[in-house]
Amino acid sequence: MKIAVCAKQIPDPANEVTYSDGIINRPDEQVLDDTDRYGIEVALQLKEKFDAEVTIISMGPAGTQKGLQQALQMGADKAIYVDDDSLKGSNSLKTANVLSELAKSLTADIVIFGTESTDGYSGTVPQQVSRFLDVECISYVKGLEVGDNITLTRQTVEGSEKVNMPEKCVISVTAGGVEPRYPNFKDIMAAKSKPIEQISLGDLNIVSEQNVEFLNVDTVESSKAGEKIIDEGEAYQEIVNKLRELKVI
Amino acid sequence: MKTLIIGEIINNNLSSGTLEILGKAKSMELETQVITVGSDDTPTIGLNDTKQTYIKRSNSSLNFSKVASKITEIIKNEDIKLILGSSTYMCRDLISFISVDLNSSPISNVIDFDLHDGKISTVNSINGGESLYKAKINSDHSLLLIRPKAFDPAEVELNTDYETIDVDNSDIEVFDIYIEEKSGPQLEDSKVVISAGRGMVDKENLEMIETLATKLNAAIGGTRAIVDAGWMPYSQQVGQTGKTVKPDVYIACGISGATQHQVGMKDSKYVIAINKDEEAPIFQLADLGIVGDTLSVIPKLNDNL
Repeated sequence: MKIAVCAKQIPDPANEVTYSDGIINRPDEQVLDDTDRYGIEVALQLKEKFDAEVTIISMGPAGTQKGLQQALQMGADKAIYVDDDSLKGSNSLKTANVLSELAKSLTADIVIFGTESTDGYSGTVPQQVSRFLDVECISYVKGLEVGDNITLTRQTVEGSEKVNMPEKCVISVTAGGVEPRYPNFKDIMAAKSKPIEQISLGDLNIVSEQNVEFLNVDTVESSKAGEKIIDEGEAYQEIVNKLRELKVI
Repeated sequence: MKTLIIGEIINNNLSSGTLEILGKAKSMELETQVITVGSDDTPTIGLNDTKQTYIKRSNSSLNFSKVASKITEIIKNEDIKLILGSSTYMCRDLISFISVDLNSSPISNVIDFDLHDGKISTVNSINGGESLYKAKINSDHSLLLIRPKAFDPAEVELNTDYETIDVDNSDIEVFDIYIEEKSGPQLEDSKVVISAGRGMVDKENLEMIETLATKLNAAIGGTRAIVDAGWMPYSQQVGQTGKTVKPDVYIACGISGATQHQVGMKDSKYVIAINKDEEAPIFQLADLGIVGDTLSVIPKLNDNL
């Protein structure tokens, strides 16, 4: 079984996101998107059962490759990525086009994603990749059981449902579905010798165009901060009074 | 502009998200039709003044890819240019599939859109609602995923008069369908929402939130952090990747107020925030801010209601 897992390098979420001409400013050192840790965890659980090969696929400015290293530290075998200036500010369709081409180049059976990136959060790329690859997409997976079959539990509006994983498909994993593992010192050292390969955009079959034109970013007048009370034991009374005034009670 | 709304069914009726988009389409006087996707037998989704088509699928098959192919076929046959859906699980899947068929990238999390010279321009809320990101779509088709509560719902009388189309099952069989028991008020409709964050420290402490919710007839939500920690199901997540709520009163308990959370609640009419950290960003949004330990304030509140 060959598994491709998407990992996105994003600016450290602890810092405020800034934009230039509608494109997120990306520092040289970016980190692994926490959302992707869930997908990587699912891939690693499959690897443990089926001796699968797990390859990280990624797109965007590689920079110091810290985020890719973090993905390898969790236990993926290798990483391939595309870093091309012409992909700056790519829309979701073009991103999906590139990632699906990377998955194809690996002849991956299973392609795994988080549900949406923390910085772009379009939440459409996994489904688009499945369409490019002409396989089914098992979206919003929140758990897996490996027995005679690999059973995936999907999050639905009303609750959940289960499906058996087909031989070839795309999976998107919701945050919280599985418990991503933390690498230990040995894992961190081992990751340093794992291959990270850059793939040239020219070697991929890209059919998507940029169809979305950035116009501008407007700052909204920030809403007023109201009254702030330091609790010295009686602040609950302020809430009671307010709830009464608002006729909640 | 020929427009298609991908509709959804909740409780045998059109979902509020669908009606909100229909309301916007009507106000723009777009030439609109609705294709609603569901698995109920004869839902009450027919519209008096708008063409409605029902794509009936079996919920025992994961066949949204086939549903999408059907919709793409209709879009091409009828020369539809604008395709709209709510930011829900189903529409995200369908519009993503269709975007590949039409080779036109969708725009997600849209809170407003407009039509100028035959082109659709969109507005997205970014940085927790502090900034509005505006873009224009230059391709032949425009596909938008609209955030809930972005528009006022259309006022409609629903009937059962519409054409029904069946779609084939896929090879992926769905089993063990589990419907979460929904007790008490639902997040999207409740006038009072109480949300919990990391400041609740431990899952067991959510009990006091439940007590408070019962007393105030409120729905309970949570931040991504506590949903990720498994304290609450994903369906209760409020924020960028969860639900959007606009209650009369929003009570944020132990929530720092990351921009991702703010997006889901900033339009609440009155915000009460309780947090230990005086500098927590949630206080910027709070009409009443209590700087203190949620775990000591809530029990006292419960005892005095």
